[in-house]
Amino acid sequence: MPNILVCFKWVLDEQDIKVRPADLSLDSSRAKGKISDFDRNAIEAAVGLVEAQGGRVDALTFGGPSVKNALKDVLSRGADRVLWIADPLAETADAFVTAHVLAAAIRQHGPYDLVLCGEGSSDAFNQQLPVRLAALLDQPCLSFAQTLELQGDRARATRKLGDSVEEAEAGLPAVASVLGEMNKPRIPTLKQVLGAAKKPQIEVPLAALGLEAGLLRPRSTRLGVRGFVMNRRNIIFKEPDAAANVARLAASLASEGLC
Amino acid sequence: MADDSFDAIVVGAGPAGCACAYALARYGRNVLLLERGNEPGAKNVSGGRLYAYALDMVDPELRSRAPFQRRIVREQIMLLNEGGAVTVDHHDPLGGGEGADSHSVIRASLDAWFAQEAEAAGATVASGVKVDALLEEGGRIVGIRAGEDEMRADIVVAADGVNSVLARQAGLFPDVKPHAVGLGVKETLELPDEVIDARFGLRDGEGAARVAVGCTAGMAGGAFLYTNRGSLSLGLVVNPEQAGRSGRPVQELLQDLKAHPAVAPLVEGAVPVEFSAHLVPEMGHDGVPARLHREGLLVAGDAARFGINTGLIIRGMDLAMVSGLAAAQAILASPTRAGVGETYMRRLEELSLLPSLRALRNYHGLFGIERIFGAYPALAGDVMRFLFRVDGSVPAPMLGGIRRLATSRVPFGQMARDAWKGFRCL
Amino acid sequence: MAGIFVYSEDAALAGQLLTPALELKRALGQPVAVLAPDPASAAALAALGPDRVLVLEGASGSPEALAPALAALLAQEEAQVVLVGATLRGKHLAAHVAAVLGAGLASDARALAPAEGGLGVQRILYGGLAVSDEVLAFPAVATIQAGTSPAPAPSAAEVAIEPVQVQADARIRVHRVEKAAAGGVDIAASRRLVAVGRGFRTREDLDLASSLAGALHADLACTRGIAEDEHWLPIERYIGISGRTVKPDLYVAAGLSGQVQHMVGCRESRVIVAVNSDERAPIFEAADYGIVGDLYQVLPLLTAALAK
Ligand SMILES: Cc1cc2nc3c(=O)[nH]c(=O)nc-3n(C[C@H](O)[C@H](O)[C@H](O)COP(=O)(O)OP(=O)(O)OC[C@H]3O[C@@H](n4cnc5c(N)ncnc54)[C@H](O)[C@@H]3O)c2cc1C
Ligand SMILES: Cc1cc2nc3c(=O)[nH]c(=O)nc-3n(C[C@H](O)[C@H](O)[C@H](O)COP(=O)(O)OP(=O)(O)OC[C@H]3O[C@@H](n4cnc5c(N)ncnc54)[C@H](O)[C@@H]3O)c2cc1C
Ligand SMILES: Nc1ncnc2c1ncn2[C@@H]1O[C@H](COP(=O)(O)O)[C@@H](O)[C@H]1O
Repeated sequence: MPNILVCFKWVLDEQDIKVRPADLSLDSSRAKGKISDFDRNAIEAAVGLVEAQGGRVDALTFGGPSVKNALKDVLSRGADRVLWIADPLAETADAFVTAHVLAAAIRQHGPYDLVLCGEGSSDAFNQQLPVRLAALLDQPCLSFAQTLELQGDRARATRKLGDSVEEAEAGLPAVASVLGEMNKPRIPTLKQVLGAAKKPQIEVPLAALGLEAGLLRPRSTRLGVRGFVMNRRNIIFKEPDAAANVARLAASLASEGLC
Repeated sequence: MADDSFDAIVVGAGPAGCACAYALARYGRNVLLLERGNEPGAKNVSGGRLYAYALDMVDPELRSRAPFQRRIVREQIMLLNEGGAVTVDHHDPLGGGEGADSHSVIRASLDAWFAQEAEAAGATVASGVKVDALLEEGGRIVGIRAGEDEMRADIVVAADGVNSVLARQAGLFPDVKPHAVGLGVKETLELPDEVIDARFGLRDGEGAARVAVGCTAGMAGGAFLYTNRGSLSLGLVVNPEQAGRSGRPVQELLQDLKAHPAVAPLVEGAVPVEFSAHLVPEMGHDGVPARLHREGLLVAGDAARFGINTGLIIRGMDLAMVSGLAAAQAILASPTRAGVGETYMRRLEELSLLPSLRALRNYHGLFGIERIFGAYPALAGDVMRFLFRVDGSVPAPMLGGIRRLATSRVPFGQMARDAWKGFRCL
Repeated sequence: MAGIFVYSEDAALAGQLLTPALELKRALGQPVAVLAPDPASAAALAALGPDRVLVLEGASGSPEALAPALAALLAQEEAQVVLVGATLRGKHLAAHVAAVLGAGLASDARALAPAEGGLGVQRILYGGLAVSDEVLAFPAVATIQAGTSPAPAPSAAEVAIEPVQVQADARIRVHRVEKAAAGGVDIAASRRLVAVGRGFRTREDLDLASSLAGALHADLACTRGIAEDEHWLPIERYIGISGRTVKPDLYVAAGLSGQVQHMVGCRESRVIVAVNSDERAPIFEAADYGIVGDLYQVLPLLTAALAK
């Protein structure tokens, strides 16, 4: 029975982040955390596989101190245990560092037959961690999977790659990244939420991973972040009379030379 | 699972539910607090003013950890007319004085904090869980159902807010009156603290609370404006029936209010970040349903329609906390299920909740004097303009002038009748 | 050794990558080498001014299966900068290469320029809410989307084409590849687009949008859900951070909420028009003109008005 690990990232909900128009800085003071959108699909995929054919699911995350807030949520979504690495270093970690940290945790707590990731994280959307992880673990990676099955010691996926769709297969152990369209993440039920409280949360101190300093030094450094503001005219027609609105819009389009 | 049963299940992690769960957990009860929002507070937008005595009643230690925004030291009343306002400003550096202090709060953080306190005290908190129904057996409430899951408990506390589905399901509200509630809209407007301090005359974490009448297009209702840290809470409560009839979205009234010459300078440059619409129980005692319990069920907070709106004061959160506490005390004090309801009613008396509602029971009658919401605030403006007018012409006699102004807005007989009615309500 | 390396399985995109590569060459003083998937594209790319063209031989199967072989080659060449076309296969390949090189990788990078301590890039954060400026230490890898820069003008210089033997990663077995049927229209080239979202209740209802598009001489585009979940329109019609980026003169967004992940793909359009029944939908903040109303009522009226 497969032993599956799913990697998830705890991110700020971008819908709560505001751009300060004065200096284009970001105000995340009201932003709540969430499990990165597509990682919820990855969790659902892992739990679905195990519900269908047995086995177990561990979840793994590396983040700042606030990742603690993610633990109950991921466990109520069906993971059996969660391994969490909370360290301020996560704030400046790039994909290079994150991949080394996650790979080290996997070596320490594995082996796993299958490691699942989301197709991309909602904040950085690097779309690279799963492949990096596979490279570091020396495993094949079925990236951008829309369907995923386990058959004995092999994983089979439909990969969607923009201009093509392919059926691909790899021997286990393997890594896969899950597209948002693979499934609909469950809304945890009361029993699942309560059950989560009793499942193991295993803190993995970063120091315990024995990573040399060079592997914790980001290769990519952020110099600054600027919010994007839409400077649009915002001329909105909202009279109850739809025909009047349409007439005004048509006139506006005409004045723009668009009809 | 063996432990799928709790001593008590509290539905709704608002002020009522949190207070109840906190108090039960502190005394060692195995309590489950359920909230449909993804986290407590997630569904409760914007801010309000909390009278802190209620928190002290639950546990005096709580206030030192509570996420208060600003301590209210300025009470301001605005009577708005078409172009201006008559404003009364009561500055009380003591902030109401010992035991009567109040603070602006942001619901999202207040609820999140209070639920965490309950959890730290030993309650089990489960968010993202919507309770769909009560479980009933032999005429008794024995638990709840959420989705497919059932959960049993000796007692369920319905603290699920003004639209309480649970209280209605339990058949406790055969007598709901639509006019027993106000329709509230509120908005959070971000503004730097220095600007807030300057505009409202505040310093060192002091706060102002404003109420305004004359901004509801003649409908019964009024507006409030609270200062928070880094933001303002601006809102409007109106009679939902009149609002429905007027055909004007309440949201539009709020926008008009923001554009009013007396309000615009206060909110200028502020960035709206949140908006919500919600019902407010405001009838005081007359709005409270006849029965607030059944065997196995207590109803607390807004679900029980505990609310006071005097026009000057909106109270809901404090009453919610006190009633949550009363429910917890009743559960702790009653050895048998059957007696809990009666004990709860007694605690509501002893904790002064029902007596307060009764004391203010007629207050709501004021809202029947429609001129309070339009003609009288406008008149106040007329009178002030008259009193302060110097234009080089011969001043009119003071009393005669005022009288002429008054009767131009409201006939004298009407005014006398209103005064009498108002007098009786108070 | 060292050098600036360029790869994309899409020859046109590989040509575009040469533009930033040649700019970096001027600053870094390092030669530019193209890794070409086949002799035909090698010849075409050789004309665009690289210093070296390496044609991959023995390569079969999917491009990303070459990742381990290319990574080994690039490590041996001590590549300082690797630019890869940001197709999904390219992103896979680049991530593998970056892992093997121990390098940073900027996905969907723009504005590449030498910077203190490495390669400066710009990329998008939070689905498009913000842009971040980053510096990648050398060796640095970046993926770049099609259309980010035009291909350089052909150069007369002669370049030898060097064959290199590569072996595909055999650990992944591909059973079947289906090329998505190209919809015929390249929406990146469309001057006017009508984009549809989940406000449309059925596939048939898209006729309302098609008629409007007809009246405007526009093409249809959509949100991710319409293409990926509903399959009502082909994948290459969806706009956004994980889809296409377009800059038409007119972008009519009907029944779509205007989340940032979508808008990032169309926010440089000249005029944006929104039709949405929810006055608070974020699309209205992003629009020049908007109608608050039911698209089922508004679109037919608008189509009729424009047809006149
Ligand atoms: C515009 C406006 C301004 C106000 N201003 C003030 C003020 O300044 N001061 C003041 O004291 N009061 C004010 N109030 C009143 C105050 O907000 C309420 O009285 C108070 O929130 C009541 O608390 P509660 O815990 O009973 O209910 P609520 O705060 O409504 O909490 C109920 C909770 O139950 C949850 N819930 C509901 N149904 C379910 C379910 N089926 N399953 C699980 N969870 C559920 C909800 O998500 C919510 O979190 C104002 C109200 C409004 C609308
Ligand atoms: C990492 C990540 C990447 C993503 N990448 C992309 C991407 O590349 N492209 C993309 O599109 N999305 C992307 N998304 C998803 C994106 O966040 C939004 O969820 C999506 O764009 C919403 O699609 P929609 O507007 O069609 O649907 P909805 O958000 O459901 O909006 C439907 C709208 O239709 C309106 N409506 C309903 N009925 C009517 C009616 N009768 N008349 C008028 N209006 C009506 C509603 O008011 C609503 O505003 C991504 C998400 C994540 C997390
Ligand atoms: N800090 C992290 N902790 C755990 N998993 C992560 C982390 N960052 C990224 N991932 C996983 O890698 C996937 C792709 O991330 P990214 O490469 O950042 O787009 C995510 O969907 C997650 O599954």
